[in-house]
Amino acid sequence: MNIRLLTAGISLAGTLVFTSGALGQGGPAHNPANDNKPYDKHDLKGVWSRNGSPLGYGGGGTCRDCGDRGYGVKVPELTPLGQKMFDANKPSYGRLLGSADAAAHPEEHIGRRRAVPPANGSDPYQYCNPQGIPRALLYPDPVEFVVLPDRIYQMIEWGYAFRTIWTDGRAPLKDADQPRWWGYSTGKWDGDTFVVDTYSFDERTWVDFFGYPHSTDMHLQERYKRTAYDVLELSMTIEDPKVYKGPYVSDPKKFRLIDQPKTVDGWRSLMEDVCAPADEVDQFDKRIRDPAGGVQH
Amino acid sequence: MKSKILTWMAWMAAIAVFCIPLVAHHGTGVSYDASKPVTFKAVVTEFHYANPHPQLFFDVTDEKGDVVHWSGEFYPNPSQLVQEGWGKKRSEAALVPGTQITITLAPSRAGAPVGAILKLINDKGEALLGVLGPGGPPPVPEQKSGEQKPAEQK
Repeated sequence: MNIRLLTAGISLAGTLVFTSGALGQGGPAHNPANDNKPYDKHDLKGVWSRNGSPLGYGGGGTCRDCGDRGYGVKVPELTPLGQKMFDANKPSYGRLLGSADAAAHPEEHIGRRRAVPPANGSDPYQYCNPQGIPRALLYPDPVEFVVLPDRIYQMIEWGYAFRTIWTDGRAPLKDADQPRWWGYSTGKWDGDTFVVDTYSFDERTWVDFFGYPHSTDMHLQERYKRTAYDVLELSMTIEDPKVYKGPYVSDPKKFRLIDQPKTVDGWRSLMEDVCAPADEVDQFDKRIRDPAGGVQH
Repeated sequence: MKSKILTWMAWMAAIAVFCIPLVAHHGTGVSYDASKPVTFKAVVTEFHYANPHPQLFFDVTDEKGDVVHWSGEFYPNPSQLVQEGWGKKRSEAALVPGTQITITLAPSRAGAPVGAILKLINDKGEALLGVLGPGGPPPVPEQKSGEQKPAEQK
């Protein structure tokens, strides 16, 4: 009996350790049935998710404290302007500012230890403003790649947004007349790696959920590599000399190919995970979010 | 040895069940103190199946007979709820005004009568919208099997 209990205990511990480890890395579940399926390394179409659940959901299934909604843990030194922008951003993700939990993790960058209730924060997405990239790619819900002859659309379920990556050979637009929430993206193949360069960002978006800033001059490079039938790996680099004194390299991100999500009616498609001000700002924020943070309307 | 292992396993299970749902994702989780859950018997007054935060409003009668108007947010959003079979029609039918509920919340750190819903049971003992804390009854029969339980808040 004791041996069985011990075995069960070890098994449970193993499950928790492995689960938390996988979640911390944003690591989706492995399906051995996909291991030997043939695939085209240059075919990115389909629905991909960094979440490990069968349908790519769970609000991430990822650990906030593991920083999975973060861009990267190795944050370059900030410039004076970058520091000012960083200080102005008041995120609601990460460890609670001033808490014992935050104090217990001095090894983490302060960006992950300064969360405040949304009622007291400044997260632009709390008011349904566009997330932009790379932030939208960091939320671990499904992203569908729609591949056309001259472009790839990334349909991002969380926020129900899309971006366009032009593959028609046009030159990157480095200093656009009008910066955009989603920037201006071009993509091309470098061997088996799909490389996306994006410039001319609206600087009101955040790099990630922890409020790391960027300027209009940010250059984001995404490098996608399909390494198995159901695995897509992504690494990113930010160069933004106005804000960071060196390149800001992301932690590696890993996506799994999943089936199209479905509704209770059996309708398969991305969910309409839209942030509508009529629901969020006028209703939820005023009646629940803000009172929860001590702000009454 | 046996009791220590059982105790340890119980703690691990509690951590797994309790902590995962509290991982915040539209960032509102930091507004609530999950270490001080409160449980009420209450009556539903209003329910909104809205994205990304379904919302419940309910009345709690205190020991003096005074009614306090509470509100709570669900951690799963509609996209997660439907994966578990909790579509809009089913959810709204389960939470029509007047429904008697027993609800456990992580209360607002600011002291307002607002909370994040951790557990929601109707007067038949059924867990509603997949919100089921430790020790609660099993999922209702209509719930689909083999699909991931929605666990987190947007």
